[in-house]
Amino acid sequence: MNDPLQAPRGQPRQRFDLEETGFNEVPIRFRRFYRRWRGPGDALAPNEALCPVCKVVIRSTRELRAGDRVYCMPCMSRLELIDDNGMLVAKVLY
Amino acid sequence: MANQDDPHLLGEADFRNTVHSFEFWFEAVEGYLHGRPYGVSPHVAEAELTDRQRDGLITTLCNYCVGETAALDASSGMIGFAPDRRAKIFLATQVVDEGRHLEILLHRLSQLGVADPDAEIAARANRNLLTFRDRLLDFVNASDWEASVFAQNVILECLEFTVFRHHSGTADPVTAELLRGIVSDERRHMGFGENDLGRRLIGAPHTHDRLHKIKRDLDGLVLNTFVETMGELGIPPSEQPDLAGDYLGAVARLGFRT
Repeated sequence: MNDPLQAPRGQPRQRFDLEETGFNEVPIRFRRFYRRWRGPGDALAPNEALCPVCKVVIRSTRELRAGDRVYCMPCMSRLELIDDNGMLVAKVLY
Repeated sequence: MANQDDPHLLGEADFRNTVHSFEFWFEAVEGYLHGRPYGVSPHVAEAELTDRQRDGLITTLCNYCVGETAALDASSGMIGFAPDRRAKIFLATQVVDEGRHLEILLHRLSQLGVADPDAEIAARANRNLLTFRDRLLDFVNASDWEASVFAQNVILECLEFTVFRHHSGTADPVTAELLRGIVSDERRHMGFGENDLGRRLIGAPHTHDRLHKIKRDLDGLVLNTFVETMGELGIPPSEQPDLAGDYLGAVARLGFRT
């Protein structure tokens, strides 16, 4: 699993400034790290992952890669990103 | 320098201590409940309902009350045999959520002209849901933590999450807004159940077979309740939400196959 505190290996990761998204289901200081999934027409940015448990979009200040660990605060899940046939998907870590 | 508000930089123990707390709960619910008496913004106006729509909505809300009362009774009972303090604190927040859900649903029934909600709920309650409630409370009365978390926080909460989320997209504006607030609470309840049980199954794999049997016993009740609720809402099968995507997805992640 990648340690988010360590410098990334290989290609440098893109960095992202997170704006407020209107998501209001976690304390104010954490709200920009999440947004609502807008349905089939929606697409994930390189710094985003969809929580398989509660269907909220998790956002990071950096590009996400396989092996990264992120948290879904709205449903309190710990997730690891895995490469599934070229697609990045989030898997729950118990 | 690391952003101190970045949740993804928390260690696992810090993360769980943060989210399983009243501090977290207060600040989370403030975001979507502040300024919304009984879960609804004052500016949201009532839509005109036909008699048939109103009657169908009353039946649906009566059954939501059955589910929420079951969750209120179960989650409050589970505090007494929860395995650790974090779980007790989380369940205390869930009890408050369930009590609020019941209160706002009863308030909505009164707005729809129901004078005696207890009588109405008794007359309209879904038999499958009542049987499910009895099974859940049997687990709680037996202080069976794994079965209680499974039945309540995985099965019942997944069912409610799926149904309420879909219903909020088709309901009249007042009902829709109060349901959206409930769905926001259900995310925590459902996530707590799946994560607690997931950790527990890793430590005690023999529990898996016992829970699988419980799942097989309860599946029919859950699916029948779902189908009947969709019927009350007048939603044709082709437009029904994907219960499999939520409930069966959650149990599959926990290692249960149908």
